[in-house]
Amino acid sequence: MSTSAILFMAGSWTFVLGLTFWSFAKLMKDNQHFDPDGLGPAVPPKPAETEKSPG
Amino acid sequence: MQSGEAGGPRRRLSMREPTVNYARAQPSADAATAPRARLADWTPSCTARRIHALITDKESALATGKDGNSHEAWGSRIGLILAMAGNAVGLGNFLRFPRQAAANGGGSFMIAYFTALILLGIPLMWIEWGLGRNGGRYRKGHIPGMFAAIWKHPAAKYVGAIGLVVPLVVMIYYTYIESWTAAFAYFSLTKDYWGITTQDGMVGYLQSFQAISADGAKVYHHTYTPYLFFIGTLFINIFVLSKGIGGGIEKLAKIGMPILFLFAIILAGVVLFLPAQPGIGATPWNGLEFIYKPDLSRLGEPGVWLASAGQIFFTLSVGMCTLTAYASYLSKKDDITLNGLATAATNETAEVVLGGTIAIPAAVVFFGVSGAMAIAQSGSFNLGFATMPVVFQQLPFGNLLGVAWFGLLFFAGITSSVAMLTPITAFLREEFGLRREPVAWSLGALCLLFGLMHVHWLQHGVLDEWDYWAGTFGLVVVAVLEVIVFMWIFTPAKAWESMHEGADLRIPEIFKFVMTYVTPLYLLYILAWWGWVDAIPILLREKSAGGGPVNPADAPYIAFSRAIIVLLAIVAVVLIKMAWVRNKYDDRKGFAVADHTGEAA
Repeated sequence: MSTSAILFMAGSWTFVLGLTFWSFAKLMKDNQHFDPDGLGPAVPPKPAETEKSPG
Repeated sequence: MQSGEAGGPRRRLSMREPTVNYARAQPSADAATAPRARLADWTPSCTARRIHALITDKESALATGKDGNSHEAWGSRIGLILAMAGNAVGLGNFLRFPRQAAANGGGSFMIAYFTALILLGIPLMWIEWGLGRNGGRYRKGHIPGMFAAIWKHPAAKYVGAIGLVVPLVVMIYYTYIESWTAAFAYFSLTKDYWGITTQDGMVGYLQSFQAISADGAKVYHHTYTPYLFFIGTLFINIFVLSKGIGGGIEKLAKIGMPILFLFAIILAGVVLFLPAQPGIGATPWNGLEFIYKPDLSRLGEPGVWLASAGQIFFTLSVGMCTLTAYASYLSKKDDITLNGLATAATNETAEVVLGGTIAIPAAVVFFGVSGAMAIAQSGSFNLGFATMPVVFQQLPFGNLLGVAWFGLLFFAGITSSVAMLTPITAFLREEFGLRREPVAWSLGALCLLFGLMHVHWLQHGVLDEWDYWAGTFGLVVVAVLEVIVFMWIFTPAKAWESMHEGADLRIPEIFKFVMTYVTPLYLLYILAWWGWVDAIPILLREKSAGGGPVNPADAPYIAFSRAIIVLLAIVAVVLIKMAWVRNKYDDRKGFAVADHTGEAA
């Protein structure tokens, strides 16, 4: 391959792969605004007082 | 999550209320009333939670709308992105892109391509997500409702009729093409075409399958074979659609997209290590050079810029009304800016990195650069359905690689075609209160009826005709209308604010200018150019939609196929009128907010 073709290919791949990894990394890191995301709570919910067996 | 949602106030939430809203729960009063099952779902490790979410479905009856009439929701963020990306990643990523790049100056094309991605593709992606989610606030998953919600004018809903017709028409013929991939995956597995080792021979084999063989040519298939594969493929599409957003489309994306990427990576790996063939001497790297070698002198040609803009347009599925329909199932608390960007990036990876590395480099290794150029110019389908099978026959485990290639194309196709029926399904369900299953199967019957026309009359150019008017010109018209309604009528300020509700990513301010002025002007330029160069000559039958010579004998078939599109448009307008009367909508007042957050506008 010629140098110019390698440069264009490398530039194209870097751009799309970089955009993909960056957006998914941000998506996983800053996962704040999607309610039905299936990721579960950030901290475990405390067991409900009302669900404790009666003393 | 609001305090006490799991108790009495829950009824205030619509059926789109997310399944796992407890993700936002504060461990206090909310936890006190949280169901036990939700506690059991929690896993201590953050990473484990994410992996668990990626491989499992957390949809509940609420998310999947199992009551049949509820407005539906996405079950997970990754499911949403995969479905959106699956909608975008299609046959064009693997067949059309490398051909366009090679034919339009290689590196020059890539410069124009990325310019179009930034000025046209990604802005349109954000606009469609914004328009769709805004429509979803009024429980409108269809373009007539989305337009009417913003442009409070009696004409808005009728202008939006195009948003029902275009995806339906495209879906009908696209499913037929998709059935070719299913058939060739089967033919690869059974080595049905093994022994046909020339390009011309495989073209003859493809034409035999399509039942368009020239007189006297060898026939390899029964006449009913293409009908069987079309009916089977359509059945799978409708079955998935009938299962709804969470239960059908999202599950398909979660299964289909990983398989698609796996097959693509395997094939790209195999192609990149192909040895030079005796008598040819070319390597895969010559193929990559064929695609990427910059011919900067061509940057001055309008054709290169139009070709790249067209490729960006088609590859992202903008103008298809599917992104808007999918986005309507989001609430205003959900992010759309980062999701939209991730969707576009995923599609671009599939196209640029994988799509460019398979078909053309493989063709160059076995046919040389000049042979590959001739194949590329003869059409995308010859490249995919004739050249690649010849290549596979030369390789170890070639039949399995053939299954991977056509399986890849099949999954790329089905994740797109299923999406295309979503807008009209949403319209019929939301406006007429119909259940999902009857709507899906009724639409399936309609698609079967008109799809058979394409199977039967392929040689008369009816598929090319529909592909041009709906799948090419129609998409640009829809996109122009969407930009005008969302950015101009809604106003740039409101559109910008709407897009950033719940946003995980702040879009750079410059894109407000781009979306308001540059994107619509870019689109209008494309529309005007194509209208002048193609649309008018094709309409007047001075030029064929498929690019070949005009055959006067095809005129009645072409006229009939056009009449069907017009008929579908008339039916759409009548249904819209009926829906507005039935639901007593006031065009000047718009719709009541039905956002599933239950909050006022």
